[in-house]
Amino acid sequence: MVGSEEDFVRISDKMIKQSDADEIEIRIIKSDTALTRYANSQIHQNIGQEDVDISIRAVFGKKTGAASTNSLEERSVKDCLSKAETIAKNQKSDPDFKGLPEPKEGKKPREHYVEDTAKFTPDERADKVKEIIEMARDEGVDRVYGAFQTEVQNLFIANSHGVKKFSRFTSANLTTTAIADWDNDQGFGWSESCSSDVRDIDHMKVGKTAIEKGLNNLNTKKIDLGEYDVVLEPLAVQSVLMYMDMMGFSAKKVQEERSFMKGKFGEQIMDERVNIYDDVSDPDMIGYPFDYEGVTKDKVEIIKDGVANEVVYDSYTAGREEDKESTGHALPMPNPMSPLAMNLLMDTGDYSQEEMIEETDKGILVTRFNYCRPVHPVKGILTGLTRDGTWLIEDGEIKHPLKNLRFTQNLIEAFNNIEAIGKKRKLFAMGFYPAYFAAPAMKIKDFNFTGTTEF
Amino acid sequence: MRELVEFGIDELKKKDIQYGDIRLSEINTEVINVKNGTVEAIKSSESKGYGIRIIDGGWGFASSADLSERGIEETIKRARKIARASSKASDSIDLKEVEIHQDNYTTPYKKDPFKVELEEKLDYLMEVNERMDIDERIKVRKCNFNAWKTKKFFASTEGAKIEQELLKTGGGLDVNVSDGEDTQKRSYPNSFGGDFNSKGYEFFEKLELLEHAEETAQEGVDLLDAEQCPEGEMDIILNTNQLALQVHESCGHPTELDRALGTEASYAGTSFMTPDKLGELQYGSDIVNIVSDPTAEGGLGTFGYDDEGVKAKKVDLIKDGMFVGYQASREGAVKVGTEVSGSMRADGWKNLPLVRMTNINLEPGDWSKKEIIEETDEGIIFDGIKSWSIDDKRLNFQFGTEAGYLVEDGEVTKLIKNPTYTGITYEFWRNCDAIAGKEEWILHGVPNCGKGEPPQTMQVGHGCAPSRFRDIRVGVGKW
Repeated sequence: MVGSEEDFVRISDKMIKQSDADEIEIRIIKSDTALTRYANSQIHQNIGQEDVDISIRAVFGKKTGAASTNSLEERSVKDCLSKAETIAKNQKSDPDFKGLPEPKEGKKPREHYVEDTAKFTPDERADKVKEIIEMARDEGVDRVYGAFQTEVQNLFIANSHGVKKFSRFTSANLTTTAIADWDNDQGFGWSESCSSDVRDIDHMKVGKTAIEKGLNNLNTKKIDLGEYDVVLEPLAVQSVLMYMDMMGFSAKKVQEERSFMKGKFGEQIMDERVNIYDDVSDPDMIGYPFDYEGVTKDKVEIIKDGVANEVVYDSYTAGREEDKESTGHALPMPNPMSPLAMNLLMDTGDYSQEEMIEETDKGILVTRFNYCRPVHPVKGILTGLTRDGTWLIEDGEIKHPLKNLRFTQNLIEAFNNIEAIGKKRKLFAMGFYPAYFAAPAMKIKDFNFTGTTEF
Repeated sequence: MRELVEFGIDELKKKDIQYGDIRLSEINTEVINVKNGTVEAIKSSESKGYGIRIIDGGWGFASSADLSERGIEETIKRARKIARASSKASDSIDLKEVEIHQDNYTTPYKKDPFKVELEEKLDYLMEVNERMDIDERIKVRKCNFNAWKTKKFFASTEGAKIEQELLKTGGGLDVNVSDGEDTQKRSYPNSFGGDFNSKGYEFFEKLELLEHAEETAQEGVDLLDAEQCPEGEMDIILNTNQLALQVHESCGHPTELDRALGTEASYAGTSFMTPDKLGELQYGSDIVNIVSDPTAEGGLGTFGYDDEGVKAKKVDLIKDGMFVGYQASREGAVKVGTEVSGSMRADGWKNLPLVRMTNINLEPGDWSKKEIIEETDEGIIFDGIKSWSIDDKRLNFQFGTEAGYLVEDGEVTKLIKNPTYTGITYEFWRNCDAIAGKEEWILHGVPNCGKGEPPQTMQVGHGCAPSRFRDIRVGVGKW
């Protein structure tokens, strides 16, 4: 398949030259994804996917139109250009559209590309998975599940103002769920690891953690519903951050009065130890150094010392406010979800997870959450369930595993009820879109559990 | 396209493999979103490519957009290499024997949405959007049109050759309102961008967005001053837009055999409806009958053949309240000795087919909604999906809707906001004591069902009529 940076430059130069539009943008995304899934200690799905998407945004005055194709053949790209132009001409003017971004110089960013990840083979993935399966059997766990994914993502953006950028990154992600069986009971355990360098993935450590959790999760008991102190492991915190991002951290949500940040800027809305920011240049992060409009991603300090500080912008939302520039957080446009923070990090604190447990008289340890959904996005109310390992903590020790619990909780209140923040953070891939979040463990008091289930 | 698929099958037949198939798709989409009087997005997309499945000691799948014979050869090579790697940790794979078809199928429709002038669609949506502009507390008013056309060519080493052309159309509208203190949302005919069917532009026209724009916007505004949903246990009545999601989450997903067998355990989750409960579990009351029906006219999950060449057919999942059937692939059906349901579908050409819902329909009962309300002393009618969450075995769920209507002594008395209800799946369905009849039965389309790794999005259908459930916990959480 064609798809080098040189191919993209050649195609975009030609389209920009041929276009009648006042402004034009060419965006090319090329991806190569490989993934080995295992279940019941067998590889049951194993795939390799490659695709390229070329999208053209044409602008006449304040009218824009977009079209895309996955064929880089000249005729297809020309058709795509023609469609985008036709749509734009038939469009209505949008007074808030201030034009495509101008080039902006910045320092050369670090590329998160590792050749070993790009070249990782199906045999190598299968070998690692097989070692996890064998380790589980040795420990008496006959059923492990998960996925080992490696991918290469390439992004090229050019526009008629002179923006011309290319970047690529690699990502490797391994997940393991262990289900321990004993006397008609099941214990669930989970672990995962994510890095741009596949050599950083310690598959045996991931497997061992999941297996140990699964074995320690047998004989779960029910607990009365109500408010408890919770120790949330990093993945549970990441789920909460993801929904906070979707409910509040975008300029569009604020402009449309759909964000809990609206009207709160400059106010202390969370515990002063909370610092949440989007920063692709952080050493812990993976991603493109610029957004899907070619704008370099700024570090955006969204919650600073607990204060509602700023939100992320694309060029459109920036154009709706005076003296505001895009922070480099556009999604592939046009896109109702744009802008979005996609490289979110939370600052660490000074507690280990063990210390959080030791300082808890009565509380609940949560490995991760399942199926979280906003109940009232502007109030910041979220619901979801615990999953793959939940335990009761009493007198500073893990007492026994619990049946999974449903929470219905105002997140802003929860981030005001912080008792401790972990001193290490973990990186997670988001799955549905190429976003990566890094989160520490947290201890929160008075977390509201409103339901329970049977396992 | 057909020639390329035939070339691919000839190449696969030359290899020493247990099984192979190739599925080539050409997908065209059109989306128009209008927001606050301007066009937020108009986009036309096309995508072409193919996916190749191979069993050679284990499963292998590779996909590519390289539409050349060389591309096919390279993709077969990649899929085979992957299959050989899978064999390191895979038992033997058997596929249930099915009838092999050589056939064509096209979605019946009257008006091709891609041939309707862009200007006509745009002008209509602009008018709808303007009609929603009735109150300054409306901060966001949106409406949209969507259409998808997919041409598929499927062939297998067993001799299947199937061509399909599937067309889907739909749209909707919604408002977000705020008075500075509270924020509410209201949509028509449903959330997730409205409603969708396997039909032509005639379906979009029949939605009558213009006629519903003002009343939907007004109810959004009214919600700001509505009373908060009460807490406690009471009877609830689900309108079809919410009941469709209830069926989706608490019956559709748990009756997917791959989930029941654990193959989604690390991601989407498993199912409490395990094979040992087949024929044994009383899932619901004896008036509850739920089917998988990809033959249902106009359903968003309607097709001629699934993505492993199995002909669409209606299968019972819940019969007279009992759990009697699964949505099953050829491989899964062998493992539990059940029927192949014709439910294997992939998101586009790029992805591997998985067991996906088709149209999972709750069969109509013999009540009318009017009678249900008249015979309810104290209850809430839930309308318009807003929040949905369920555990990874599909037991504990909690749903919230955009609007609720309080029923007192057989009459609808007031609008309430932030309505939520929660329960355990089988207890909930066992408490179903009234289902409205076929006159009020609607086949809704859900365009965004997520499953699989890498994540896939599927379009599915759910037919149902308003139904009542007794003694359900409502008003969850602190407000």
